[in-house]
Amino acid sequence: MERERRLKVMGGEDVGREALDLERGGIAVLDSAGNVTWTDEAWSAGDGEGGLPRAPIGTNLLEAYRGHEDPRAQAVANGIVAVFEGKAMYFEIEHRASRESGRSYLTSVAALRGDGAGAVVVHNVVGGRATPNLRRPVDVRSTSGAPASSGIKRLTPREREVLELMAAGLDNRAIAANLRIQYTTVRGHVRSVIEKVGARSRLEAVARAYRNGWVPP
Amino acid sequence: MSQARFARSEQQLTAPEHFALVHHGEEELREKLFDFLRPALDDPKQAIYLCGPPGWASRLLGHLETSVGRDLRSEVAERRIILGHGDPDVDQQLQNLLDPVRELCGRGFSPVRVAGPAAWDVPGYAAPEDFLWYESRVLPGIEGLPVTIMCTYDAARLPASALLYGAFETHSHTLIDGVFSESPSFLSADTYLKTRLIHLPWLEPDRGRAVSSTSEDRPARGRRSRNR
Amino acid sequence: MMASSGAPAFPVPSHVALLHYGESELRDAVLGFLQLGLDRPSEALFCFGEPGVGERLLRNLESRVGRDLSPEYRAGRIVLGTANPDVDRQLENVIAPLEAFRASGFALVRFVGIVGWNAPDFPPPEDFLWFESKLNEIISGFPVIGLCPYDLARMPARAIVYGALETHPFVLSGGTLRQNPQFIAPDRYLHERLVALPWLQDDGRAALQAGGGRMGIPAGSGR
Repeated sequence: MERERRLKVMGGEDVGREALDLERGGIAVLDSAGNVTWTDEAWSAGDGEGGLPRAPIGTNLLEAYRGHEDPRAQAVANGIVAVFEGKAMYFEIEHRASRESGRSYLTSVAALRGDGAGAVVVHNVVGGRATPNLRRPVDVRSTSGAPASSGIKRLTPREREVLELMAAGLDNRAIAANLRIQYTTVRGHVRSVIEKVGARSRLEAVARAYRNGWVPP
Repeated sequence: MSQARFARSEQQLTAPEHFALVHHGEEELREKLFDFLRPALDDPKQAIYLCGPPGWASRLLGHLETSVGRDLRSEVAERRIILGHGDPDVDQQLQNLLDPVRELCGRGFSPVRVAGPAAWDVPGYAAPEDFLWYESRVLPGIEGLPVTIMCTYDAARLPASALLYGAFETHSHTLIDGVFSESPSFLSADTYLKTRLIHLPWLEPDRGRAVSSTSEDRPARGRRSRNR
Repeated sequence: MMASSGAPAFPVPSHVALLHYGESELRDAVLGFLQLGLDRPSEALFCFGEPGVGERLLRNLESRVGRDLSPEYRAGRIVLGTANPDVDRQLENVIAPLEAFRASGFALVRFVGIVGWNAPDFPPPEDFLWFESKLNEIISGFPVIGLCPYDLARMPARAIVYGALETHPFVLSGGTLRQNPQFIAPDRYLHERLVALPWLQDDGRAALQAGGGRMGIPAGSGR
């Protein structure tokens, strides 16, 4: 039975910093020859600080990493076909398989949570050209898991009240009635809450509130 | 409580009702939409509210006009058919639904039939988790009103997560392939937020984030079934 | 339906669609299911899927139980099966091990068949649906609990409607096992439903092409 390969999760650091978007780091997919066939925006935009040297699409990453002093790069040079960065939160990438051509691309990359280690499952990596089925770069999200404690501290007392009522499931009209303020004022408070706690949506703000104990269970 | 029936199927609904139609493609949507809304066209005591992301209400109206074989301008002019729209602010989207519906009820229409597509991950609109919150607030918002709402979920376009979390968990009933049944996965609004919404997988940092891909998915052509 | 242990109480035989979101939820559900069988010598385990999937599942199980399962594997108590784009071969790859288990006298087989929708080593979706429906007939003749995981994070809605819901009498979701009102019995499914699958019709194909069949999880784009 083939043993599961242990791979290093390499590159940039987002430890201790909660980020909805992977600000540094990124994903580069290599073909079996080591050529970079696809990268996400974060990879392209990354400056490699604390991470690995970037290589654009079409260049051979393995050549660049062979003999590199960084053991992580050496791991890549030794046959790892997916390189991704971050402190091993959970990534899944799905590429489509082209049945018509009979060729398939990287269909699943799963990085398990760990201390910089990850297990990768690779199916039938075929390379040589950029994956045609991706119309736009994949949106990669990651969080270091660190609590966003700073978010709650930035809320005004009224905003905290609003957040509690949001967490109770009330819509804005009901919040306005409860607090005896204008509906439009509530809308402003809600927007402010979402922004200050670093959420992308109303619900995510509520989820964070519960998760971080900002509102009673 | 008022009753609403489908034109062709035998199903009778007790309003208020909020159910999910799961269909595959526009043709089935058009057919099921007509089945649901036709009684309102035939009965001047009923009203219709169509909604969705930009352009969708008009699109649904177009489907209806095709089915009925005439334009519905007069009904729109007399506001017996109202075209609404969603909003990037999910709370506003909820009000955009409830305010006109309440207006129609206030004018004495009964039942008021509402139809609109699930706006799942529509660019510029509410994130899916907010959309789910919206869906869960619909039934409480029409409590006591003679309103029947059909949310349409296109199995040809949507991801599986929209189906489970959207269609099945926020609607007490589903209409799939002509079969109207209780949704065994339905979670009532009073428990939904704390038991499900805040624990949606893509919001949980421990489970991390999965990555979306816009890649295509089409059933393969080529090799087909052999004799069985 | 819950057993006193908190695990679902599966009828035997049963064919169950497991709706899960992502790998970690899959592992939680499936490994627990398999481990129960591991602890009972009269039970066998059958892991099935695209090439490599069975092996990966087994490695995960080994990690969970903390030991090498090669002895059970060599003894034929754990079998790894592989999907095949030829649906008849795929069916045979399921039937043969089940018959072997029965001949060996196992009281129960825990079968996990990881679903690949439109995947290169899997039958095309319409054939796969035929396979899923056919499994109901096959499983009825064996002491099997068949779990078919459908990953909500990866699959399109139609895989859930036509696959998970219409071909499985039971659905396991969120830890709760429920009878499935959308299930269509094989005799009707094969003759009425399959031939009418939307994407096999002209307007259905157009619908897919128009929709692009987006899959995947929410990205919150446009905000």
